[in-house]
Parts: sequence; C-alpha cells; structure tokens
Amino acid sequence: MRPSFFHHLHPPTIPARQARLRYTLGAGGLSVYMVLMVAFTGILEMFFYIPTPQQAGPSIQMITFLVPYGAILRNLHYWAAQLLVIVAGLHMLRVIFTGAYAPPRQFNYLLGLALFVLTLFLDFSGYVLRWDEGVRWALVAGTNLVKSIPMIGPSIYIFVMGSSQPGPAAVTRFYTWHIFGLMLFLFAIGVWHIFRVRRDGGIAAPPPELRRDPQRITRFELVRREGLFAILTTVALLLLATFFPAPLAPAMTIVGSQVTDARAPWFFLWVQELLRLGNAFWMGVVIPLFLLIFLALIPYILPSPHPEELGEWFPRSGRVAQVIVGILVLGILILTALAILQSKV
Amino acid sequence: MKRLILVAAGLLLAAVLVMFWATSRRPTSIELIPSLTDKPEYCLTCHADLPEISASHPVKTFGCVICHGGERLALDADLAHSSMRGGRNPASLDVVQASCGSLNCHSGDPIKNRDHIQRVLTSVQATYAGAIANVRYTFGAQPDLKARQAVNAAEDLDGQSKTGILSLSKFDPTKETNPALQMFAANCLNCHLSAAPKAGPEYAHLEGCPACHTPLTDADIPTLSQIQGNGKTHRLTTAVSYTQCNRCHNRGNYDLKDMQFHPRTGQPTDRLHDYYQPMTQFTRCEWTLDCIDCHTRQEAMGDGDIHSNQKDIQYIRCKTCHGTLTELPHTYTISNSEDIALRLAFLNPVIDLKIGDTIILTEKGEPLWTIRQLPDGSFEQFSKATGQRFVFRPVMGSGCQQNADQQESRYCHQCHAVKR
Repeated sequence: MRPSFFHHLHPPTIPARQARLRYTLGAGGLSVYMVLMVAFTGILEMFFYIPTPQQAGPSIQMITFLVPYGAILRNLHYWAAQLLVIVAGLHMLRVIFTGAYAPPRQFNYLLGLALFVLTLFLDFSGYVLRWDEGVRWALVAGTNLVKSIPMIGPSIYIFVMGSSQPGPAAVTRFYTWHIFGLMLFLFAIGVWHIFRVRRDGGIAAPPPELRRDPQRITRFELVRREGLFAILTTVALLLLATFFPAPLAPAMTIVGSQVTDARAPWFFLWVQELLRLGNAFWMGVVIPLFLLIFLALIPYILPSPHPEELGEWFPRSGRVAQVIVGILVLGILILTALAILQSKV
Repeated sequence: MKRLILVAAGLLLAAVLVMFWATSRRPTSIELIPSLTDKPEYCLTCHADLPEISASHPVKTFGCVICHGGERLALDADLAHSSMRGGRNPASLDVVQASCGSLNCHSGDPIKNRDHIQRVLTSVQATYAGAIANVRYTFGAQPDLKARQAVNAAEDLDGQSKTGILSLSKFDPTKETNPALQMFAANCLNCHLSAAPKAGPEYAHLEGCPACHTPLTDADIPTLSQIQGNGKTHRLTTAVSYTQCNRCHNRGNYDLKDMQFHPRTGQPTDRLHDYYQPMTQFTRCEWTLDCIDCHTRQEAMGDGDIHSNQKDIQYIRCKTCHGTLTELPHTYTISNSEDIALRLAFLNPVIDLKIGDTIILTEKGEPLWTIRQLPDGSFEQFSKATGQRFVFRPVMGSGCQQNADQQESRYCHQCHAVKR
C-alpha cells in the first residue's frame, strides 16, 4: 500500500512498546483531534455569532435554540474544548511522569507547555464570549487579576480588554483573541510541536541496544489505531453533545462591575479558591506564574531521567519531578474540590 | 483491528441516529415579531394557548418580553423564564417601572394622564401611609397625624405638592419602642399594594397593578398562596368589578386592641348584605353600582401627591352627580378628540361616547365619562363593570328638602337609605 498524506505525517515505524495505549494514553493524538473538532465547530459557529455586547448573548441563544443542529454544534464545540484541556493536561502529565521531557526533547516540552497555556486562554476567552450572566467572574474578577500586576498591570489590561473596564470593546477583543490571536499561535506552535516530535527522534524510548522489546509497528497500524480512537472519541462527543448541553445563562444586558455569586470556569476554580486566601496579585498572578515557570524549568534544573529508563512510566531517575508535580496536581485538585463545595453551600 | 474499526463505525452511526432522534423531539418554534419591539421572540412556542391580556395590549403589537422580560430566544423553559421581571407578575410595584413604564405607556406626561406608575407609587394604597401615621400617632410615636413613613420609601417627583409632603421614609418597626407598633408591623402590613397576602382565602389578593386590574376568580384563590400573590390569570381590565375591591376592602377588620386582623364571620347571601359593617347605611346607587362607577382614578390610584390618609384623597360626594337644590352637577361638553374621557371609553366601551356629548365633571376636574346628560336634563349612567344602564335626575327641581350646608352622605341617607 502506498502511504497516504496522513501516513506521511507519521514515522515509517515506531517502537511497539511505546505505541501502547497504556503508555501514551493516546493523549497527544486526542489533543490534535480535539483541536480540529473545536476549530471545525468554531468556524461553523462564526457564521451565527455576533460579537457585539447587545447581540453576543442573543446570538448564542440563536445558535442554541433556533439554528438547525445549532445546539449540537455548540455542545460539540464546548465539550471538545473542555476535553481538550483534560487530554492536553494528561498528555503533559504523561510526559512528566515518563521523563519524556529529557534532552533532546526539552525544547519541545516547552512548546507543549506553551500550547497548554494557549489552550487555557482559548478556553477562557471562549467562555467569556458566551456573554451571559454566568461569565461575570471571568469577565470581571478574572481579568482584574491582570490589573493587579504592579506598574504594568493597567496597560496590559487595556491591551487585553480594549478599555479600562469591561465594556463594548471587550467582546470584540475577546472575539479577536479567541478566533485569531490565540488560534494563530496555537496552530503555528502546534505544527512546530508535531514537527519537533519527529525531529527529536519520535516517541521517547531507550537507545535501541537497551530496549527490552525490539518490535516496531508500522505507520499503517498507527494510523489505523488513531482512526479507531478518533471514531470512538466522536461517539463520546456526540453523546455528550446530545445529552449534556453546554451551560447557558440569561444574556448579559448590563456589563457593570458587580460580581454576584459568580464562579470561575472549572479549570480556573483553583485560582478562584487561592484568591480567597489572600492578595489578588500574589494568589492570582504570582503563584500561577511561578507554577508555570517551575514546570518550564523541570528539564533544566531537575535531574534528567537516564536514557535507558525512558519509554516507561515513573522512571526512578525522574523521581524528584514526579513527586513535586504530583503534589502540585493534588493541590490543584483539592483547591478545585474546595471551590466546588463552597459554592454548593 | 479492522473488525474493531467496523464496530466503532457502527457505534458512530448509532450515536448520529441518537443525535438526530433527540434533536427531532424539540418543539417546532413559533416566532412572533411584535411591532413595538421589532425583535423576534419565541414565547408562543409554549404559550400559544394564553388568552390575549387585554384589547389594549394586543400580543401582535406588544409581544410578551416588553412586559414580562425573560430570554426571548430561549426555548428552554428554565432559561427563558430566568430573567423574567417579577416572576409571574411583571406589574408588582418593585418592577413595574421596568415592565409597564415608558413615556408612551404608563410613566409618561401627567398632563396626558400617562403617569399611572408615579401616581400609584405615591398613593395611599401603595404607601399605607395613613394607617401607619394613625397608629404611630395613637401610640405616641409621632406628634400629629401627618404621614412621615410608608411601607416602601416614596417620593413626590413632580416638584409640586398640594399636601406639602414631598417624601416618605420606609417604616422600620425595629426602630419602634412601643410593642403595639411592632405587633402592628407584624400583623397589619398586609393589605397594601406590594404586600404578599397571608395564607387563607380572606386575605387573597394580587400585588401591584393586578391587585385591581386583574380580575381574580374564586378558582384562582387556592393557588394564590402557593405562588405568593401572583395568580395565573392572564388578563388586565379597566372594568374593575366591586368584587375585586372587596378582596381587600371587605374581608374583615383590623382591631387596635389586640393588633390583629379579624376576618369577617358573616356569610353574605346577596350583594346588599355583602358588607361587613352592619351599621353602615346605603342608598340604592351605593350597592347597585360598582365602586369605580363613583370613585375616580385619582381617588383609587392617587393624584401624584403624597397624602396622609385615605380621607384626604377621597372627595366624591352625592352632590358630585346629583347636584344640590340650587346647583346642577358640573358638566362639560366633549369637544376634542384627544379628551381623556374618549380614551377611557375606548378602553372600556360600555358607552358610545362621542364629541358633543355632555358628561359630568368632578370638583377636581375629572370627567365621569360614563355619566352623560340626556336632552331632558336627566342623566344616564353605564356601569363600568357590567355595562348596565341607569337613569337618574338631579336634585334641583325635585322634592328634596335637604339643608344647603348638609351635603355629607349621612344626611342623604336619612331619607334615601335602603332597608337592610
């Protein structure tokens, strides 16, 4: 069989042991699939969404209730975006917990981290574009975090929001960031990231002479597995989109600056919970930023996993990174759980 | 592997079919673009069976959202209803300005009689200022009977006041030291326009404008306490029957001794006996007509000024319609198509009023638009609630022997009261 375009995106063969689902979780491939799904549904939504303060909320209701299959379209966009955060996060944790960030892959690890941050910003901006009563926290408290940065905060805020407080310009800014600014970077860095996977020698594995299992699978087998996974994911997305509608609240009529019992989007609940503990700048900006810087520095400051230990979960030589990241993830999960419990009381 | 992919493809087909099936179960939407808002709304998708609320608020013109609020495009009941004003009752006084008020609706020019909301908000029916002032005076909390406080703070905004009272602060029982006043607050503040009624049929009434303008049927009453004073009836009328007034004004009495409400005990058998004050005397017109056939819009809904009690605003007397031995009732002849009398007759067409008709004018200049002078000098009156026609003559030229300075109803009752 002659390789097709899709086959050519893959190396001719890859080590069978590292191609197993229990090793990769399929998370990297799923992330690519989710990005494509989000982009496809997002482009269709652009035909109906009207990015003005008066029309944004109503046009979302239009998509949800009146456009044929609009609800499915919007729900697919929503669920693919939420699952993207999860599978991209899992992909990152897989890379950390298998030590795959070790040289020569340390730069691609940084690209991946950038993609994850872009994904969070994309999700956040998409959430705000709902422009309904449910997004007030994100629009007001969330963006105010930017303002809390000493000296440069207010300028960055105006750069992001278009004015000194949430107003008509904000919806245009968020729209442009969401579908153009952030998306452009996501695609550019995404392509670079995938290119670097092959340039850095494909999936992380021990040197050939140290491999326990010399077997390899072909790109044809790999594409078949990916296809199977894509179909099953589509089934899951369709069922989610059919039976679990994306959240929607009354359209926001007055933007104002009042935040009443509003909640952050789920992936930032831990930040909202941190904010309860202290100063907005330290809790909402410095701590998340330090977390990000620490993650970025893992391949550079922590002991590198030994090459012969690559291609397996939890290599001994990567313990320090595994324990620290494990604790951080646990902390984020606990803070998220606390935030959910608090808002239920 | 190929078999797995086939199975997965089968699952995908099934998921697509499930999605089509679930989507096809959604109701077909019904669009309405009211001429006043020019924005599509889809409330009729579920509410097509609701009767038109009144002839003057046709749904094709107004739609639903302009009055009720809500999410006009949402086809999910919870979301669609989530931003409705006042729940079931957009005309409760806390939201009435947003629902019914606009310059061309009910908060317009006082000269054109379009200031209904401002008048009602300062009227004694909304402020309850008279009762509060009287009880506070009685228990020594204020030095005179002048109103100072109301159930909700009120302000006379038009800058002119014949009573001199420009604002009322909110009555706060926690600041009262006399326990009687605290009991009054606990037991007696439930018959003003923004009060949620207490449980029990004797208290049942609607809030805000619908307290008078939405006819409450006996079938509504059991549901009322469950939905907090907001009934299910979708109707507005200016033909307010006496039974509507009786919801509040004929259900029992408050007693200053124990600061409690005592529901009436009698079971009336006919309208003449359907009144809780056994000592009160009535002439025939007082129990055959409806309350609003005599009591004017200003008396019921306020005149824009803040008054200290009900008596200050009530002014209709027997002589308003019947005149005295030496004077005929005031009348005027309608000459202008913009005359308020013609507008009122259009809203409640019980009389074929037209330019050139002569109708009675009250002492304060309000037209009694259902009372028209006939060529022989007598008057015909049409009941606003029933359309029934009555004819009466003025006192002048009759055998009446009243004293010129005895015009209160009790003097008329001496001869004209009916036997009860």
